[in-house]
Amino acid sequence: MNQPELIEQLQQGDESAFTKLVDEWQDMVYNTALGIVQNADDADDITQEVFIQVYESVSSFKGESKFSTWLYRIAVSKALDHEKKMKRKKRVAFVQSLFGSKAEENLHPVEFDHPGVQLEKKESAAALFNALQLLPEKQRVAFTLHKLEGQSHQEIAEIMNTTLYAVESLMGRAKVNLKKILNSYYKKQIPE
Amino acid sequence: MNKKERINKLVEDSLNSLDNVNRAEAKPYLLTRINARMNKATESGWEKAGWFIGKPAVAFTGLCMLILINVMVVLLNKPSNTDIVAEQPAQTQVDEFSYTVATIYDTENTQP
Repeated sequence: MNQPELIEQLQQGDESAFTKLVDEWQDMVYNTALGIVQNADDADDITQEVFIQVYESVSSFKGESKFSTWLYRIAVSKALDHEKKMKRKKRVAFVQSLFGSKAEENLHPVEFDHPGVQLEKKESAAALFNALQLLPEKQRVAFTLHKLEGQSHQEIAEIMNTTLYAVESLMGRAKVNLKKILNSYYKKQIPE
Repeated sequence: MNKKERINKLVEDSLNSLDNVNRAEAKPYLLTRINARMNKATESGWEKAGWFIGKPAVAFTGLCMLILINVMVVLLNKPSNTDIVAEQPAQTQVDEFSYTVATIYDTENTQP
């Protein structure tokens, strides 16, 4: 079954088409969410939310963009929403910790280990993922989509609903900022 | 290799660490979890309604409204003064024409 047929069947509420859709796209959605939120359980939650949203709003998909672009947009948007929610929770936890509550345990997340990174690169990748968290949102999304999902700058521009020039600029700034962050990180790590 | 060169190499290694990265795979039985979540969302609409109605404040307000409506109905259906005045001529007629049925006591005491 080709993609337009699959979408048409989905729009008619076909359950088997939805099963096929989940089978085909689940890893892409999960990997995108994982790259942004850097937590396996949260990424799993977001993946579920993305497919529920697709099921509920597939009738509004007009085919003006590629289906994958539409799916990436939902995944990125859900992941960023989730991240904002987590930040709010952290702020509340911080305030609670000032009053001696046990919520402070959640303030320091564990170091993220992406399962797809080669073993010999795990340490370098962990430092990069930490540095990524300090980047502005758009730079982080562009960098993550490019590096983890292998999306071209043009595809990223379509997903982020911006121009190719803007994405190139975002990627350039992301690399410069990451270099600065990593530089200061390794300066502290390496003794004189 | 001096410290600066070492740092530069580590930074470059980090930046290139995601080259040729494999895509992370979603956890198994994702579809089952999605279906369960969708069913739960459908049920929770009724659950939310039940929970809202069951809240003490809502339940108490509802009860008060019910009592108030009952009191209003009773008050609105109470006979007014004009109804009593309207009944008066009828009573006068009864008195004047002695419509009342004579009792045994009355017949036995006809003589003073």
